[in-house]
Amino acid sequence: MRASTLLSESLAVLGKELTAELRSRVALNAVGLFGLTTLIAVAYQIGPYRIQEQDRPHLLAALLWVILFFAATSGLSRVFVKEEDAHTAKTLRLAARPLAVLAGKFLFNLILLASLYAFIVPLYCALMGYSVRGVPSLVLLLACGAVALSATSTIVAAIISRASGSTTLFAILSVPLVLPLLVMLIQGTRAAAGSAAVAAVLPALQGVVSLGGATLLISVYLFPVVWHD
Amino acid sequence: MSAVSVEFQGVSKRFGNRSVLVAVSGTLRQGQVLVVAGPNGAGKSTLLNILAGLLRPSRGEVVYRDDDGPLPRPRWFERLGMAAPDMSVYEELSALENLRFFARLRGLHLEDAALRGVLEGLGLAPREQTRLVGTYSSGMKQRVKLAQAVLHDPPVLLLDEPSSNLDETGHEVVAGLVARFRERAAVAVATNDPRERAWADARIDLAL
Repeated sequence: MRASTLLSESLAVLGKELTAELRSRVALNAVGLFGLTTLIAVAYQIGPYRIQEQDRPHLLAALLWVILFFAATSGLSRVFVKEEDAHTAKTLRLAARPLAVLAGKFLFNLILLASLYAFIVPLYCALMGYSVRGVPSLVLLLACGAVALSATSTIVAAIISRASGSTTLFAILSVPLVLPLLVMLIQGTRAAAGSAAVAAVLPALQGVVSLGGATLLISVYLFPVVWHD
Repeated sequence: MSAVSVEFQGVSKRFGNRSVLVAVSGTLRQGQVLVVAGPNGAGKSTLLNILAGLLRPSRGEVVYRDDDGPLPRPRWFERLGMAAPDMSVYEELSALENLRFFARLRGLHLEDAALRGVLEGLGLAPREQTRLVGTYSSGMKQRVKLAQAVLHDPPVLLLDEPSSNLDETGHEVVAGLVARFRERAAVAVATNDPRERAWADARIDLAL
């Protein structure tokens, strides 16, 4: 009988992920470099002054999420593929409960995404001259967006790891899950930039939380099948 | 943990058009070593993966049974230790960190001294235990793999080519390990090594 709790096992998986990542820095480098390169390219080509004033709210919100999403994709998709590549997946499968693996990997992706946001968003605002009136609303949106994107990336990464780690498959499977999420996040960010009231971002926030919650719930039921069969 | 037996009946496995196993039957019992022998590609590793619940057979069934009756598949894993060439430990962690991680996953509250004891018992010197596994030789990695397999003192132990990459001393360490587990566990060893075939209490010879 297991004496460990699901929480303790999940934290063990998270601890292992963090230790391994801090030593290898594969995902950190991929996410950081991709994010920074895209941001600098966008800032250099467009910058704060080459967008018409009336287009700024739409374009700046969309560009921010395009940068964040593609930078995240380069690192988050590897969370299970690396276990298959390193032949540690079977060892982990025998030792850990599926939900502990899912939770640990999800939390790791969440931390990676939060680090990316903390690094890129202030830099983006500074380089693009993006002033946000509702900073608390934006932070709330970023937090909920990170949870929803981590949930989506984690389950899709698990599915593709069983399909020989195809990153093309990651992109194809992500589209129907991520597209509505990105649309809502862009709308919410536009609203947060224009208004200091949290109520302005509530419709987008509700959508993001619903989609993220549904993805998490589906993952809990789907993951054991994906992981073991 | 109570004794567990593993019965497998008519186990067959196909990968596409290729049959790897055809109607293989047998039983793993406490106090016995079942040796699975056969040439490369005969399906030894496939059979062990099926017995571990890592692969589903195309036909036939595997039943784990303890004193209370048959065990559901998710509970097989807590009764099982396995080492195989395609099962690695984490190269970014040291041997000791790997064992701490697997111990925590399995709900074992073991002090570092106990974990070090397991590693030393498999011939990994104390000064090597805190080095990253990625810097190890293949023989040292094999010892860490074996350590994670036996860490929780499982009643079922599945070893696929357990002496691969090991020198003569390493082979003796594995022989000692199998002798210890024969007393208290059901052990299966997939091997081509004539010295390991001699451990058999029961034997399955697979053909191509």
